[in-house]
Amino acid sequence: MVDRPAPLQAQDKLAFLLALVPYLMDHGRVSVAEAAAHFRVKPEALRRAVRLIAVSGVPGATSSYQHGDLFDIAWDDFEDNDQIVLTHMVAIDDSPRFSAREAAALIAGLQYLSALPENIDRDAIGALMAKLARGSSASPTQVAVSGSESDETLGLVREAVAAGRRVEFDYRTSRGDSERRRVDPLRIESIDQDWYVRGWDAGRGAVRTFRLDRMSDLAVTDDAIVRHPGDVALPDALFEPSDEDLTVRIEVAEAALPLLGDYLTEDAPTRPSASRPGWVETSLRVAHFHGLKRLAAGMPGVLTVLEPQEARDAVAEWAAAGAARYRTL
Amino acid sequence: MAEPKNAPRVPVEERLFSLVLALLATESGLTKNEILSTVQGYRQRYRTGGDNVNLERQFERDKDDIRDLGVPLETTEAPDQPGNNHSLRYRIPRGSYELPADITFSNEETTLLNLAAMVWREGSLSGESRRALMKLRSLGVESDEPVLGYAPRLRSREAAFDPLSVALERHSIVRFRYLKPGESEARVRTLAPLALVQHQGRWHVHGIDQDVADKRTFLLSRIVGSVQPTGESFTDDGGDHAANALAELDAIWANGVGVLEVAPGTDAAARLARRKGSAVTGENQLTLHYSDMNLLADELAGYGPEVLVLSPPWLRDAVRARLEQTAAAHGRPVPAGEHEQGADEQTVEDRSTNEQGKERDHG
Repeated sequence: MVDRPAPLQAQDKLAFLLALVPYLMDHGRVSVAEAAAHFRVKPEALRRAVRLIAVSGVPGATSSYQHGDLFDIAWDDFEDNDQIVLTHMVAIDDSPRFSAREAAALIAGLQYLSALPENIDRDAIGALMAKLARGSSASPTQVAVSGSESDETLGLVREAVAAGRRVEFDYRTSRGDSERRRVDPLRIESIDQDWYVRGWDAGRGAVRTFRLDRMSDLAVTDDAIVRHPGDVALPDALFEPSDEDLTVRIEVAEAALPLLGDYLTEDAPTRPSASRPGWVETSLRVAHFHGLKRLAAGMPGVLTVLEPQEARDAVAEWAAAGAARYRTL
Repeated sequence: MAEPKNAPRVPVEERLFSLVLALLATESGLTKNEILSTVQGYRQRYRTGGDNVNLERQFERDKDDIRDLGVPLETTEAPDQPGNNHSLRYRIPRGSYELPADITFSNEETTLLNLAAMVWREGSLSGESRRALMKLRSLGVESDEPVLGYAPRLRSREAAFDPLSVALERHSIVRFRYLKPGESEARVRTLAPLALVQHQGRWHVHGIDQDVADKRTFLLSRIVGSVQPTGESFTDDGGDHAANALAELDAIWANGVGVLEVAPGTDAAARLARRKGSAVTGENQLTLHYSDMNLLADELAGYGPEVLVLSPPWLRDAVRARLEQTAAAHGRPVPAGEHEQGADEQTVEDRSTNEQGKERDHG
């Protein structure tokens, strides 16, 4: 799945306005470029917000938004020099509090981070969480994440990334073969409890993603990495479809569809199943049938591969071989 | 309909911003009528002495939107006219709106919070994280360079997550259909949600089941269909519900023990041995912990012939049944007469108060 920023909703725009006013008050004079960079928005979005603030205010004593009831800016500085100076302020004095859910999101995020094998100061994180709770307008909602297992491999890879050193490890693919790989680690990623390292595979001459739990005998070498994070484009999505992928037609229970997120293609034609109510027919992209047979066998009763026949056979053989082990005892 | 024609269109954010400003500026509060007739974005559509039903509905929705952002919008009754909706006064008390002046964040803390927000970049709570960062930036603190070497993320693919997190914040009682293992149809549950917790990578909601008046934990992936508010709310007793729910799940996990034979040099051998709590207990033999037998059975079935379950018997039967089901669904039915009779399926609920069991039987 590709991460793409959602378009700003009216609520986001309001949050932006309420955040921008105190920032501008504190800064006295600031360029559009600097403020836009600080808030990580496009300069034009920032200009639009400033223009809106400049004509906004309170109904006032006459209930008719007289001049003194509105914010004002130094218009010449703004229009000619792209500089923002608030010259009149109303209603707002300070930054807003966090909402209960905003604070909860950050607190749960911190909890997740605190399980990392970093020298993150646990006391500092605790103090930060307490600050967030105090700075929210209602008690933060209770969202919690149990610590993930951070084993030795993760710590070593993290060291290698920080030091810019190449690593070597045995890697077992879902095909079942194992090979020594030499990799310049660029970024460590995780999804919930699963950890991955993405890096430049010297042997393959390409960027690859490795699951940490498929790596063994990891060694951090003395060799400096030859490809740096800035040199190589790392797409946001962990699993990029490739032209060599195989397309497989499947039938899946609608409720189980979200579990296939990483395999479904954006444009996969999906239609209700003709024979089974509550099921849909769609397509998956897989690198090879070895991954598919594991996926399908792990979703018993909710996913059936329809075609090609080789894919069906691969799944059937895998499952039948598994079942056969129970008949020999 | 009832609104004046040719009223200039005021953008939504301008109306919401004007509403917040007006309610922050008032000491004594504004009545709904005062708001609708004077505040920018409403006044253009207000009909003096006429029907303003649509505008009133708009105001109700705007109130929710503003409260969602954490803006404390207060309602007070006029002391001389209790119970009269038209005399209700609305205001935003400055003290509960503004971040206390003594709360500041260092560059280091800002960097950490940026990373914490990035954890949610996919899906649920990403909007909340984004808005929290906006408020943080309002304080003008720059974060250190983003940590490029790290991109951890949490995600919730369950559609139930968002409505449940909203219900948590509003303390509203919700209703949903839940498919328990062993039952062929989902049953309606009514829950006062207290916490959302992720345990072993899976999201659970913990709360008070209204039908049994006791605490229960539900797997989000077994919620069928949508989560609906009942319109009723509840009072949270203020306990540390999330920590309690996680401790309970940990205890169940510690109790669940499976023994497997794994083929050496396979994906199963490598990955299952690396799991938290796994131990090698013999040649090609592995002992692992689990909190949900049915989810584990699905997972182990995915390893095909690489795994043979030795015990407990019902896990063994569950994995075998799944493999046979998959083989049959793909055109290779198990020969008749070869199926051995299995023990009854046992679910976690038999050993605890938890609502856990088979996940993927919605079809």
